[in-house]
Amino acid sequence: MKNTYKRNFDQLAQIVADTSRFFEEQDIDDSLRMKVDLALEELFVNMVTYNTESDREILLEMRPIERGVEVSLTDYDVERFDPTVVRDIDTDAPLSERTPGGLGLFLVLKMADSIYYEYQDRTSKITFRNIMAAGEAADDV
Amino acid sequence: MFDIGFNERGDVVVSGRLDAANAPRAQAFLNEIDGSCVLDLSALNYISSAGLGVLLSTHKRLSADRSGLELVNVNPHISDIFRYSGFDKLFVIRSA
Repeated sequence: MKNTYKRNFDQLAQIVADTSRFFEEQDIDDSLRMKVDLALEELFVNMVTYNTESDREILLEMRPIERGVEVSLTDYDVERFDPTVVRDIDTDAPLSERTPGGLGLFLVLKMADSIYYEYQDRTSKITFRNIMAAGEAADDV
Repeated sequence: MFDIGFNERGDVVVSGRLDAANAPRAQAFLNEIDGSCVLDLSALNYISSAGLGVLLSTHKRLSADRSGLELVNVNPHISDIFRYSGFDKLFVIRSA
């Protein structure tokens, strides 16, 4: 699958629909959907939010791999920002010290089984993989 | 598909996908809530950090008046997200 999306949160519904169709067509285990949807949304939202200089659409690519899926998001005309190196969140902090925000990329690193970042010619490409563990139950997240 | 409203018990029912596109609507609804509030999440099948932010900011606002949000009928997928985020230590959560 190779699609582009406008830089708008309203595109999330289309991304979910396209992901659902891809999983069905490629017979990818649906138990990976929650992780893929979440990582995908957080990365897409991060691109839309922090790259306000570009008008170019964001490229989404998906391909099946053994027991899973590989997903790439590419953004253009953008400063380098490696989402794989993000500050940790203190999930033990009390309510008074917790603030909304900052959880998105933290969750991406929790959801993805592997993730890597490429940057060249003001183009960012983030690729992550989700793979079914051997014997993983369909209900597991 | 997302919706938020009251059930017959006066609990707030959140259903569908609470993502970045729907978070502003959820936030606007919850901004009108005062006092303790029960959120029935039995029909919520997805939440992202945007949705978590809505729950956290609402819980902080209500907790300032010694009330807060109680999250009930949380399915295992959403429960995992709460656990990863440390929300299981911040909220009273009752699983489905």
